[in-house]
Amino acid sequence: MRRKAGLAVAAALTAAALPAVGPIPVQAQSYWVYVAAESEDEVSLLRYDAGGDLVVEKTIVTGWLAAEIEAPHGLAMDPAGEYWYLTLGHGFPNGRLVKYETVSDTIVGVADLGLFPATIAIPPHGALALAVNANFHGDHVPSTVTIVDLETMFPIADVVTCTMPHGSRFNADGSKHYSACMMDNQLVEIDGATLDVTRRLDLVANEPAHAPMDGHMAMAPPGEDCSPTWTTPHPDGNRIFVPCNKGDVILEIDLDTWRITRRIEAPGAPYNLDLTPDGSRLLATLKGSAKLGIWDVDSGELLHLIDSEMRVTHGVVATPDGRYAIVSVEGIGGDPGTVEVIDIASGTRMASARIGKQAGGITLWRMEG
Amino acid sequence: MKTRSNIRPAILILALAALATTQAAAQEVARVEVSPATLSLEVGETATVSATAYDAAGNVVDIPFLYFSRDGRGSLAVNRTTGEFEAHKGGEYTILARALGPGRISGTMTVTVAFPPLDRIEISQDGGRYYVGVTLRHKATVIDQADDERDVPVTWSTSDESVATVDRFGVFSGHAPGEVTLSAAAEGVAGQITYQVTDNPVTAMAVEASQARGRTGDVIHFAATASDAGGGTVDDIPVTYGLIADPDVIATADFPPAEVDGMGRFVAYKPGIYTVTASVPGQTAHATVEILPRHVAEEVQLVGHAPVRNVSTSDLWVWEGVDGRDYAITDTHSGHGSTYWWDVTDPASPVLTDSLIVDARTTNDVKVSEDGELCVISREGASNRRNGIVIVDCTDPRNIEIISTYDDELTGGVHNLFIYDDHVYAVNNGIRFDVINIEDPANPHRVGRFELDTPGHAIHDIWIVDGIAYTSNWNDGVAVIDVGGGDRGGSPENPVEIARFRDIGGATHAAFPYRSPTGKFYIFMGDEIGAPAFDGQEADRTPQFMAGYIHVVDFTDPENPEEVARYEIPEAGSHNMWIDDDRLYAAFYQGGLRVLDISGELKGNLYHQGREIAVYKSYDPDGVVANAPFTWGPQIHKGNLFFSEYFSGMWAVKLQPRRTLIP
Repeated sequence: MRRKAGLAVAAALTAAALPAVGPIPVQAQSYWVYVAAESEDEVSLLRYDAGGDLVVEKTIVTGWLAAEIEAPHGLAMDPAGEYWYLTLGHGFPNGRLVKYETVSDTIVGVADLGLFPATIAIPPHGALALAVNANFHGDHVPSTVTIVDLETMFPIADVVTCTMPHGSRFNADGSKHYSACMMDNQLVEIDGATLDVTRRLDLVANEPAHAPMDGHMAMAPPGEDCSPTWTTPHPDGNRIFVPCNKGDVILEIDLDTWRITRRIEAPGAPYNLDLTPDGSRLLATLKGSAKLGIWDVDSGELLHLIDSEMRVTHGVVATPDGRYAIVSVEGIGGDPGTVEVIDIASGTRMASARIGKQAGGITLWRMEG
Repeated sequence: MKTRSNIRPAILILALAALATTQAAAQEVARVEVSPATLSLEVGETATVSATAYDAAGNVVDIPFLYFSRDGRGSLAVNRTTGEFEAHKGGEYTILARALGPGRISGTMTVTVAFPPLDRIEISQDGGRYYVGVTLRHKATVIDQADDERDVPVTWSTSDESVATVDRFGVFSGHAPGEVTLSAAAEGVAGQITYQVTDNPVTAMAVEASQARGRTGDVIHFAATASDAGGGTVDDIPVTYGLIADPDVIATADFPPAEVDGMGRFVAYKPGIYTVTASVPGQTAHATVEILPRHVAEEVQLVGHAPVRNVSTSDLWVWEGVDGRDYAITDTHSGHGSTYWWDVTDPASPVLTDSLIVDARTTNDVKVSEDGELCVISREGASNRRNGIVIVDCTDPRNIEIISTYDDELTGGVHNLFIYDDHVYAVNNGIRFDVINIEDPANPHRVGRFELDTPGHAIHDIWIVDGIAYTSNWNDGVAVIDVGGGDRGGSPENPVEIARFRDIGGATHAAFPYRSPTGKFYIFMGDEIGAPAFDGQEADRTPQFMAGYIHVVDFTDPENPEEVARYEIPEAGSHNMWIDDDRLYAAFYQGGLRVLDISGELKGNLYHQGREIAVYKSYDPDGVVANAPFTWGPQIHKGNLFFSEYFSGMWAVKLQPRRTLIP
């Protein structure tokens, strides 16, 4: 069963890495996602059967201290589908990367990270993870991206990037890694082989940037703050999308010229992004307005704006067949976390399920059918 | 809709997979070889290793590698992309080259870094002069030319075995008067110490107990006096203390009924007759004491319950309000950001007076200003990630009002806080505490902060008494910090560290200072440790458990603190505590509420000394989890003992003298 699941996801990911981008009209029947509930210390495994209900199949309690919230935040899937990875935000004081085996959902490895690690990226070869240490504690000091060897779970290095890095993502062939600097208004590129920072882009000035100084944030002109929260490379390998959480815009950046080439209006504080594997549809959670936006990538036209059942939309993943967007919604205070399945073509919510509080990190495990 | 296109897409998936597999197979890495396979070099030298990947057919695969060494961390500086490395410390290490391709294939090589020659061996010993017959153990510290301590076996010897001998553990015995040199040697280097062994002048020995009769848990000091033939005192001869126990109840496989340390400090766990011996070569004296049961147990009477059954309860604070009535606040954990105010003037009937919901999931801690007018609540899990603190006017606990919030650089969450002299000391969820001036509570502003200087430091809690802050810092233990009441010139704007102590285990979660009527100044340091039996992946079947205990540290001399005692409940872990009038009130999670007699000097494991005054476990069939004591924090107030229970709200009990007759 696991072999079959791994094959399906691997196929979809490999397809996404092919040079010629085209529609992948494969439709599956069942989809499994893991979603982290940050204020519940839980990760839920949910299954969606196309046209049916979204069902919580299992809830995995995370962390080591029953009486402390350890804040499960980011999730990532091993390309072969055999493991899933979770960042725990709170530690002593550093957070951790935890490696779980799928199916049994048992811990098989742990690596130390930095202060409040958030998003994880794994390149297609699956040998490494790059976890951004977001350090949400509020200190205006440059933080790091931790590189972890996933076989040994050894943290090889901490690469200094910027203040409050977030949105860790590799491009389709794993040759480049991107992350955003929420407090420095930068996009940072790391080479996938050397794992050194290769380029920085000031997302306000739209020009290459230097590394931020300790305690000195990039000062955006009034009304031009960006606060980028995510990075999503396009599968064509030529561009990347970055949401400005404070600018109500999604930036398209040309990777050759290393300049912003398009601004897509996205009112409502865009937060996390994803693209359908064929690169035709851009998905964005709009954290402030509790919606999911779906755009046509070529035209930049907003196709659908879908209200969520709860407030504070957080994560989004497109299913590898490009059919659905699966969205995590945090809620506020005592609200339960929510996971919603949206039909991308019609913009219709197909199903939803309640999980633990502050649903955030989300990763697709497998699809079958 | 469900199945129409199932078959063809499935085939397409497989076809794509097959294509990808075919393309990849030609370049799929089957093995990695690292060259050279072994390498030997000296500290300070550099070398480069290189890896080559091969497919199953033996063809070279062009692929990048990452080089690193797990066991060489701190000893080898490896360039992750070039394979160049520099040796910093001696030892044998493995360098791993990971092929950045599917399959996570890697190769390894072994580096042997020669240890630098040894530089010196330092010998240490316990105090005392060497008279004939005296035996003391020595320890050798081996240091190499890189100034690193080395684990190298040493060979012990003496220069004249008729004067003194030494065994392989460094235990040295003087046999006859004379000069003798003790040596510890390894790899051509030796450390030496020369003694003059002299005749043993002791002709008489006496030992005296500080009291002839005591109770279990009492620390009795035995003072030995060695005298020479002229009646003079020989005070530099090492004295060995021993114990002959005759407990009232003898059980097999039990802990020792009493103990005496090298300084003659004795404590008994069981009643009985105990004889302490004090020995020097050729002379022994003894003194006997009678130990009686401690008889401190009291009855616990349930007074009242303020139930909170829809959400878990965290901390509490009880105070006398400005109107003279008594009030309590209880916070909540992993819930909806609520806080509850109670009138507990009649603790038998707590009355909910008001409540507040803030944007948070956890309001972990709450404190009230000394004048009873301000309540400050910590926040975690705010929807906008701007947590910080909430300052509330609680002059009238029936109509509380938010005055202000403060979250600057406290966005990751405030877990604990303390109010002292118009300042809030807020512990963020990371590495420091911030000092926030609330003289004008509508305009709070940061005036100072404090952070330890150790690598990977973390802070969890803070408590302030008389202008001295006691912070709990997990692996770094407790830090004592002058914030205005010490002699180091500290202030809220400029906290100055006075002392620091890491207890055994290093899991310090809470600390409570106590100046005992004995003149001793103790700091009680509580662990927070996940219980080994707790399986976080079995939420529905495994109850919540915690482990850890309370360490008692004698801080009377802050320059030389000493961990002297512990309070360890075998089946439960410690959490928050309160101390008043020689009584420790301790929350022990699943072990309930414990009240401990901490009168007198403290030594050993207090749990086994008959010092427990009371144990109370609250069972609420309608709790968040039914009938599951999980005690969070206690506070004594006007004779009533209030405590918060994670699954059931706030309770109040009262202690009363035990009604059973004591023979």
